[in-house]
Amino acid sequence: MPNAVQYKIVKTHSVQIGSLTRELPVISVAPGVAVALLNLLGDTELTEEAGKALAALLPKGIEVLVTPEVKAVTLAHVISRILGIPYIVARKTQKPYMFEPVTREVLSITTGKPQLLVIDGFDIPKIKNKSVAVIDDVVSTGGTLRSLSALITDIGGSVNATLAVFTEGDPRDDVIALGHLPLYLGEKG
Amino acid sequence: MTAMPTETFTLTIGNLSRELPLVRPTPTTRLPLVEFLGDTQLVKAAANATVALIPEGTQVLFTCETSSIPYVHSLAEIMNLPYEVARKRRRPYMHDPIIQDVQSMTLGVGETLWLDLRHAANLRGKNITIVLDVVASGGTIASLEKMILRAGGKPHGRVAAFSHGQPKIEIAVMQQLPILDSRS
Repeated sequence: MPNAVQYKIVKTHSVQIGSLTRELPVISVAPGVAVALLNLLGDTELTEEAGKALAALLPKGIEVLVTPEVKAVTLAHVISRILGIPYIVARKTQKPYMFEPVTREVLSITTGKPQLLVIDGFDIPKIKNKSVAVIDDVVSTGGTLRSLSALITDIGGSVNATLAVFTEGDPRDDVIALGHLPLYLGEKG
Repeated sequence: MTAMPTETFTLTIGNLSRELPLVRPTPTTRLPLVEFLGDTQLVKAAANATVALIPEGTQVLFTCETSSIPYVHSLAEIMNLPYEVARKRRRPYMHDPIIQDVQSMTLGVGETLWLDLRHAANLRGKNITIVLDVVASGGTIASLEKMILRAGGKPHGRVAAFSHGQPKIEIAVMQQLPILDSRS
């Protein structure tokens, strides 16, 4: 049947989270670089399952969760709801309604452009002198993570854990994750 | 730099209440600023109160990033419906995305929405209801409807948790927030 919107996935990578299995599409993001693309937005079931599993792994004593906009927002929401710990979203743009926001630039390898991370001044008292866990969907090179951690440290929070659904590329032990994704180098996704 | 607002508006949904700060988008008006990000209880209360507004026959919920996302996630979970999110930036993993301009209401600044082809495919042939946290002029709704049509979906409903004043378009709203003048 002819249609304008048709998408055929050429290659997938299978992952398991709790009782759920997903075939992640392997998508080219730059010449010679492809990733197995995790998408939590729109996948309520997977987000709930991953949130439940990560909530169980959150170290004791964490008082607040911080997540970078956009893709991990629902994950942080679910963990926050399960544990009753507040979460704060670091935004990518400064909003006109923010009160004395603090910002930090991220040099992201995947987007190729400098990006901003912004925390609203209203949220600073919720982070200052608190034990913080950073929540992300996938930690790859860790660029966003480093900038976000520096921003949290700047405003007086201490980052004591990082939780993600997956780490990607080189294995790393500084992130609590439910699994690891390969990075596909030198091949077409 | 804006001053820390001290006046608030009391929002009540069921037995939950929040003191919303009043912000001044123009020198003569003040609006209650409602924020779903970070407030799981408010999201839950709003999602519960929104279920009845979703038109029968809806097959997919459609929203745009960012502040609506946890609300639509919760609604999707309660109603066991899939949802899709139009993004505000192109991401490197997008292939043949639908690209749609928005005439934004608040600042008169144009925005662009992006929907990756993989996600647009999930709208095709389906009854799509748009769900947003706050509706203002309806510019975002109009653009999301264009995206639905371009993806081959059928616009089926328009729902928002809040509006500032009387909405200028036809839309089901859970609760109308007041627009206050600067001296009231």
